[in-house]
Amino acid sequence: MAGTPILQLRNLTKVFGNFTAVNDIDLDFEEGEFFTIVGPSGSGKTTLLRMLTGMEFASSGDILLRGQRINDLPANKRPTCMVFQSLALFPHRSVGQNIEFSLKMKGVDPAVRKARALELMLQLRLPETYYSKNVTKCSGGERQRVALARALAYEPDILFFDEPLSAIDYKLRKTLEKELKDIHRETGKTFIYITHSLEEAMVMSDRIGVMRAGKLVQVGSPQEIYSAPQTKFVSEFIGDVNVIAVTAIGAASLRAAEFATNLKCLPVPAGFTAGYLVVRPESLRFVGSPGETDNCLEGRLYNEYVLGSRVQYQVRVGDHVFIVEKLRQQAFGGHRDDKVLIGWDAEGSILVTD
Amino acid sequence: MNGSADRMRRAFIWSWTGAVIVFMYLPAVSLLLASSTSSRYFIFPVTKWGFDWWQKTFASLEVHQLFKTSLVIALCVTAVAVVIALFGALAFARYEWKGRSIYQKIVLLPIFFPQTVLGLALLLWFNALGFTMSWQTAVFAHLVWIIPVCTLVISIQVYSFDPALEEAAFDLGATRWQVFREVTLPVLFPGIFSGALFAFLLSWGNFPLSLYTTGADTTLPEYLYAKMIAGYTPGVPVLGTVSTIGAAFLLIGSYGLILAMRRARQSATE
Repeated sequence: MAGTPILQLRNLTKVFGNFTAVNDIDLDFEEGEFFTIVGPSGSGKTTLLRMLTGMEFASSGDILLRGQRINDLPANKRPTCMVFQSLALFPHRSVGQNIEFSLKMKGVDPAVRKARALELMLQLRLPETYYSKNVTKCSGGERQRVALARALAYEPDILFFDEPLSAIDYKLRKTLEKELKDIHRETGKTFIYITHSLEEAMVMSDRIGVMRAGKLVQVGSPQEIYSAPQTKFVSEFIGDVNVIAVTAIGAASLRAAEFATNLKCLPVPAGFTAGYLVVRPESLRFVGSPGETDNCLEGRLYNEYVLGSRVQYQVRVGDHVFIVEKLRQQAFGGHRDDKVLIGWDAEGSILVTD
Repeated sequence: MNGSADRMRRAFIWSWTGAVIVFMYLPAVSLLLASSTSSRYFIFPVTKWGFDWWQKTFASLEVHQLFKTSLVIALCVTAVAVVIALFGALAFARYEWKGRSIYQKIVLLPIFFPQTVLGLALLLWFNALGFTMSWQTAVFAHLVWIIPVCTLVISIQVYSFDPALEEAAFDLGATRWQVFREVTLPVLFPGIFSGALFAFLLSWGNFPLSLYTTGADTTLPEYLYAKMIAGYTPGVPVLGTVSTIGAAFLLIGSYGLILAMRRARQSATE
């Protein structure tokens, strides 16, 4: 990555009593990037974010902002700002007053404040008449924009987001994700976002960091995380995947004890002894005879799920559940409890460790 | 069929509600009736109507003094109770801290003390400490009982307060004091206001604590009690009525004030 990191974390650790919430994290954030930290609840992502904003202090390790150590600087002294999960809009103030809050605290002249607020409202596509509207009367999407405008008015070097879209219904969330990415482009600021949804992270981010139990397990572009997950955890986090426990028995050959069969996989990395073979639902297909693909298993069609443009099939091989995904136009005409063959090619899978 | 059953049910609910209201307010009305007599004694039905006693009562210097004492005590109690109870309520409902659940129980306990016993206990303490009883000691006595009530009232508002509001303000560069003044205080204001009303009204109407701790000073409830024991005149129901109506006006007036403020804010922002 080019450029100097705007924010650097060095051995950052946070301990509560005898629980280590954030465990020895090293990470550089690049100037102007949209970085998303993803993890399930309890993975320590919120604690990490609270340390970055200055609302929680590190137990050990360092946080460097443009090379300056800012560990002990409280939130109100840091040139960073956060959009909260609850948005935390001030209910007793109008849209305009919310946006101007940080300027008022600095003692900026009311006329200048108002001009700046209107400018931000224009940028965020909030109608000018909303300036004096009660925030509690705004819709979910509007409140989202007010919170963002309020944070931008502070002119932060870095903007943090603590799952601000989690309480919003699916359709609006999808719109707002794209909108946020557009705003990132327009402002050119560094955005650091946390969410438990990798799908959300994929849409918006330049880079993604996946957290598990206080540790950062993988950092990479959305493309890298999707196509080359390094662990079973990351691969399963992406969504529906088929995972088979395997051991290496050759250069391109694996043993799947569960199905008492050998599987072909290209490539099997040198040094790989045991782990998991991950096959995406879209890499699996229904085949007529075992020879059509490199690998083949026989199962029974259990159920069918129509997901709009795609259709998923649940196939059970013994007790092991496989998900096969097809485009709707190429839907498979099988019936429940039909005997089916599912297959995939040696190149169509990924090997990961635990 | 269905409609008539529905009508029956509604009629029942209304008459029941009406009966409860009559039951609650009849004593207050009879007070008004008892005060509007021209005779010297308390006789029902009233034979000679008149407002002579109202005139006499309002003209009395003694009564003015009573009102003044009660008012001064209630205002002092309100001012002190609200400040202490606000911070007490923040500790009660806003912050997680070790010992909070014990604190919550201890702070509410005085509400359940029998007030006469509490008054006597305070009297003994004031004596032991060498204080002379006066309206000031009564203020202190009222506070012992009213602060817990006031804390509870404000806590209800604090429970619905999102702590992220304070964090957001702090994150936006506000100092701790600015956070308190610009966010915490205004958001909690409705609760603080009801706490103040409670404090005022509970102090205004308090008898058992005042009885033991006012010393030479006399509050309105004390005077009413004394007059009822010995030397009843229809001035007693007059004062009782005035006191009740005054409290009602305070409640209705402050409700109106809050509505007006809300409307003013809305019209200012819309």
